[in-house]
Amino acid sequence: MRRAAPAALVVGLALLPLAAIEPRVYLTLTIAGLAMGMLIFLVAAGLTLIFGLMDVLNFAHGALFSWGAYAGFTVLVLLNERLGWAEAPSLGLNALLLLAAVAAAMAVGLVLGVVLERVIVRPVYGRHMFQILITLGATIVLEELIRIGWGPNDQVLPVPFTFQGSWDLADVIVLRFPVVAIVLGLVVYGAIALVLRRTRVGLIVRAGVENGEMIQVLGHDIHRYFTGVFAAGSALAGLGGLMWAIFSQSVRPAMGGEQLIFAFIVVIIGGLGSVSGSLLGALIVGLSYNYVAFLLPKAAIGVNMALMVVILLLRPAGLFGSGK
Amino acid sequence: MSAPARATPVAAARAAARARRWRRPTLWGRLALLAALAAVPLVPSFQLLDLALKIAVFAALVASYDVLIGYTGIVSFGHAMFFGFGAYGAALAVARFGGPTWGDLGLGLAAAVGVSALISVAIGAFSLRVKAIFFAMITLAFAEFALILAVQLGPLTGGEDGLSPRFPGALGHRLGAYYAICAVVTVLFAAMSRFVASPLGRVLQAIRDNELRAEALGFRTFVYQSAASCFASVVATVLGGCYAVWVGYVNPESTLGIHIMLDILLMVIIGGIGTLWGGIIGAGFLLTAQAFLPNLRGLGAALLPGSDLAVRLTERWPLYFGILFILVVFFFPKGVVGSLRETLARRR
Amino acid sequence: MAETLLELDDVHTFIGQHHILQGVTLAVRRDAVTVLLGRNGAGKTTTLRTIVGLLRPARGSVRLEGRPIHGLRPHAIVRRGIGFVPEGQGIFATLTVDENLRVARLGSDAGAPARLARVFELFPDLARFRAARAGTLSGGQKQMLSIARALVNPNRLLLVDEPSKGLAPIVIEHLVEALRAMKAHATVLLVEQNFAMAQALADDFYLIDDGRTVHHGPMAALVADDALKKRYLGI
Repeated sequence: MRRAAPAALVVGLALLPLAAIEPRVYLTLTIAGLAMGMLIFLVAAGLTLIFGLMDVLNFAHGALFSWGAYAGFTVLVLLNERLGWAEAPSLGLNALLLLAAVAAAMAVGLVLGVVLERVIVRPVYGRHMFQILITLGATIVLEELIRIGWGPNDQVLPVPFTFQGSWDLADVIVLRFPVVAIVLGLVVYGAIALVLRRTRVGLIVRAGVENGEMIQVLGHDIHRYFTGVFAAGSALAGLGGLMWAIFSQSVRPAMGGEQLIFAFIVVIIGGLGSVSGSLLGALIVGLSYNYVAFLLPKAAIGVNMALMVVILLLRPAGLFGSGK
Repeated sequence: MSAPARATPVAAARAAARARRWRRPTLWGRLALLAALAAVPLVPSFQLLDLALKIAVFAALVASYDVLIGYTGIVSFGHAMFFGFGAYGAALAVARFGGPTWGDLGLGLAAAVGVSALISVAIGAFSLRVKAIFFAMITLAFAEFALILAVQLGPLTGGEDGLSPRFPGALGHRLGAYYAICAVVTVLFAAMSRFVASPLGRVLQAIRDNELRAEALGFRTFVYQSAASCFASVVATVLGGCYAVWVGYVNPESTLGIHIMLDILLMVIIGGIGTLWGGIIGAGFLLTAQAFLPNLRGLGAALLPGSDLAVRLTERWPLYFGILFILVVFFFPKGVVGSLRETLARRR
Repeated sequence: MAETLLELDDVHTFIGQHHILQGVTLAVRRDAVTVLLGRNGAGKTTTLRTIVGLLRPARGSVRLEGRPIHGLRPHAIVRRGIGFVPEGQGIFATLTVDENLRVARLGSDAGAPARLARVFELFPDLARFRAARAGTLSGGQKQMLSIARALVNPNRLLLVDEPSKGLAPIVIEHLVEALRAMKAHATVLLVEQNFAMAQALADDFYLIDDGRTVHHGPMAALVADDALKKRYLGI
């Protein structure tokens, strides 16, 4: 029952705009909203686990997002320049290219994550104020390094050919890439859920999220799990960054910071430490943003804020929060 | 000055402190600082004047933030937002709703102060419902929201380009503005000092140290925390107005941007949390660094001529700012002032 | 001394600025139940937490079978064969009973199935509710689960902190029976406010007052000494 209500909320929310928007536009918006939600989910999932397990406020998550995007961007540009894989109208080559970019984005995210955790975060465990400050400092450094390495301006990203454009299904325009994003998001969610529920590592992480002290006195080296979760979360952030870059067809040094605020809102709405909560929260944020942006463009961000406030007033620990 | 015959221990302590006041070195130190501040215009350098004034304003801003986290224990990321309210309040009153008159400026500031007070109490009420960490993130979200609002309400606020108001009378001239703002800052510092040392301030420190116990002793913590939050926001708002008067230009990025909050945080860390006056050191250090670091730009080109990477490395001085930030947080967890105090205390 | 399994020597522990343990010295005899008694706030739980590594002693030493364990991290200490049953049970409410037991199991050696079987024998309720979420168990059942977790590994020492807290008398009786059945195979350091329970189970006692161990000896001696009981326990 506890889980049914919020899910019903999302469905209700999704159906509401049908009253004001005609079905074909509605469908396009819904897909865009779901896609945006999935991309935010990628970032939020890592963030919520990091906070849930480690009690760490990782403000550097946005920088990991940016680095993932730029790493993937570099791969896309290189392989396209040398081998023309993006421009080729071949699903196989395009898919391969995307895979290569994804691998680069996640690898970079992971490595940076491990470095960040060991060097920056570990010394300040338990002290929230310092975590915030130090991760903010790390964000500045990482963003500046991007500006030094790739230049401070926006750059256009070569989207692989078969992912561009849209399908025309009975007069409904369905953009292709958002669908890819949605599928990817679901796959990632499925993978995370599988690991958490069916593996021993997942069991220990779930227990640790609930009671970090107890898991230690049961014999588990929680620091190793911290590093692991941080690394996984960082890899996901990198992936999210790349996907967002392809979605918006460009990369900018500050892109991570901008998305981070959405991710935080989602984590708060969903409940700290709950991946399902993040998924639901992300979908709510993505959908509402797109519907409202269509009807009243300027009110879009405001609606997200209002939603967050309302949800928190009803459920102070978030939709699926465990009241940590 | 003798204490009354049967004073309580607290009253006796305060009376004794009052008596000692004129002999404490810190008071003379502060007077010296004030004199130095007043004397800056004697040096014919606008850069120095600008720097001195910004240090004064930001020192007070940091002190007001310190009242919030250091003395009351409320962690908020929305403080810079109130600063922005003050700046926009002053600018809008003089440039949009009225003209460059004292009355309009006063009204604008008063309105901004009212809005800040209301919002800080509302946000404070919200903090009762949610945990501390949520509260911090919510304040951050609100601050971002304010920024976006300022950008989107173009016709009113001038959008991204902002407003360039002209201020009345002496405020329109550099020296007049300088002394007026310094006076305001001095008054605010005195007010904050009194606030923290007052009975109200002591209750707040008790709440910060052990909220449950304070509640058990009968203090309605929410009322006290709201009062402190309100006071700190109002101070920040007034300072925002001062900033607008000095710079003569108000736009979203420079008054509501997240970097102001970052700067405040860094200054508080350098100066030390819970040391009201540490803000002066924090602001002094940071703003001076920010004023002179860009000059390093030429250094890279001079040292390694022809190397593009070297140029780029030195051009992006925020990189070193960030590294500095991290190092300061690592090595001076109690702030520079705080660490100094500890070292001195241990020597005794 | 091979007789002594666990030894604390003049242990001082701070929590923040508070000097909680101001000289705790005790020796836990192998294959016996030692009880730590004392008033609220005397430092009993802090002692257990120091042993298990959640707190680091500022002075003094903690030795398990002669080898020092103070300063090690909790997971390393516990893996040397210590089962910790904390105050408030510390079970994972969002995990099932089975998952709680699985997360506690640290290795699968030959004896593992036998130990698990014994756990279900001692606490049949746990077998019945194996698939239920631990948060839905009653207070007594949660306590059983917490103790059961300490028994799934071949632990040599059990640290049990106020197991009777918040439980109804009849549940406490069942608990005592279960602990008695375990006694034969285990060394236990028990913290308990419930004197009757302590009396039923303990072989040795230590009295803690204001962070110091002030008295110790065979349990029978304490039971007979009214003055001591009155002075340190108020009974």
